[in-house]
Amino acid sequence: MKNSHIIPLDLIQLVYAYALILLSLALARWQKIGHEKQLLWSSMRMLVQLIAVGYLLNLIFAINSPLPVVLMLLAMAGFSLQVAGSRIKKRMPNFYRVVGSSIFIGCGGVTVYFSFLVVGFSPWFDPRYLIPLAGMIFGNAMNGASLAAERLSAEMHERREEIECALSLGATSRQSAAEAIRNAYSAALRPTINTMAATGIVALPGMMTGQILSGTEPIIAVRYQIAILCAITGAVAVTSFLIVQQGYRRFFTDAHQLKSE
Amino acid sequence: MNMNQQQKSDNDPCVEFIDVGVTKLSPADTETIILDRISFTARQGEITGIIGASGSGKSTLIRLCNRMDDPSEGTIELNGQNIATINPLLLRRKIAMVLQKPFMFEGTLLENLQRPFMFRNMAPPSAESLEIARVLDLVQLSREMLKRNARSLSGGEQQKVNLARALINHPQVLLLDEPTSALDRPSTTRLASTLINICQSEHLAIMVVTHDLYLTEHIVNHLIYLEEGRIVEQGVGPQMLAMPQTTAFSNFLAKPEREQKSSS
Repeated sequence: MKNSHIIPLDLIQLVYAYALILLSLALARWQKIGHEKQLLWSSMRMLVQLIAVGYLLNLIFAINSPLPVVLMLLAMAGFSLQVAGSRIKKRMPNFYRVVGSSIFIGCGGVTVYFSFLVVGFSPWFDPRYLIPLAGMIFGNAMNGASLAAERLSAEMHERREEIECALSLGATSRQSAAEAIRNAYSAALRPTINTMAATGIVALPGMMTGQILSGTEPIIAVRYQIAILCAITGAVAVTSFLIVQQGYRRFFTDAHQLKSE
Repeated sequence: MNMNQQQKSDNDPCVEFIDVGVTKLSPADTETIILDRISFTARQGEITGIIGASGSGKSTLIRLCNRMDDPSEGTIELNGQNIATINPLLLRRKIAMVLQKPFMFEGTLLENLQRPFMFRNMAPPSAESLEIARVLDLVQLSREMLKRNARSLSGGEQQKVNLARALINHPQVLLLDEPTSALDRPSTTRLASTLINICQSEHLAIMVVTHDLYLTEHIVNHLIYLEEGRIVEQGVGPQMLAMPQTTAFSNFLAKPEREQKSSS
């Protein structure tokens, strides 16, 4: 890495950057789209959140101990769960237990695998690697988790007649919900599959761009990007799999009865 | 077609309800009684009709028989054995159910008839098999239709497939929830004749939940009239229809049939 190549941004440069938000605000006002308040509020949130996380990361980097890094990862997992929950209008039974344990096992497992076997940094808690890698894995898996949970609830609702018909013919809960499980899992994976196919052509990914800006050779940045996309796909696949497999059972009793809505 | 005069003395008890009750908790945590102390026996070789106005608990009652739902109190026995002790998957093969709205799985009519075998992880019978021929004969569907897309069939044909699919497991009891709700009079007449034929040839206990007095009058041996979750009157079908013993049942019969159907 050649971090010395990066141009540091001072306050006045950030003000110039923020001028582009003001330009967007002016255009929104001119066109009377009615989103000015939302735009301003979102930009302020972005500013405050990023500055806060910047100081927090600085502090964690300075402490250089595993405890704050682990706490930060747990907080990230907690926020993923909360955001996934807030996006869904109709939640499945035991939503937080199902999605929480799936995010914990799916994302946690993939983060550990990726950190130790793929990148292999040392010490194991090195915040410069662990926090951004886990952040990308959790953030993307959260989208997959929301899609899996939401689609499963919708499928179980829409396919009620089909499920009851299968149960009355002697099907198990799993057999009767097989189509719903398949569709929910497919819906959760599709955006990740599409992103992989479009990467490098339609858009340059943020992590790779950031590495290149900070002086990393493009070929190394590309290798990191390939590896992280594999990790994201793995995390989305495992987390969504666990959600649909645990989730469908919550709609049934042990006697293979579909619970009333 | 009328089988009300059939001999019934040697018919064995098959499904017995003993003081069965269902209560449900509303979102406001108040208990609502859906079924209250229901006791009756449905016998093999007989058709038991359950009639009553909408919301009287008929559909809830029939769903208890094959454990699509469980009662809050009381016991239900199949040939003397409490159904709560029978594996529900096995029970649903012994007690088949035909739901109100015929649901066709994606695929051909044959694939729909093969589904129950796939649920048991068994090799499905071929189009030429005796199993398929037996159920097609029972519901009077022709073998030529086996390759047709099940979802493209008419309502009456789908109801027959629904019935054939339920019978393929060789059940001892057949449950039907409002089987005529989507049928016109000629189709209802054909279904009535089919049900009598099935009941006699397969020696099944059939339980029918219905609003349809025409169907009730033509096929039912034992009749149960439900009101607000309670059995108000039960007895031999034709006698009950001819001479209702309670004002409630009398009033129910006095309502035009159209009104009873539309309230479902």
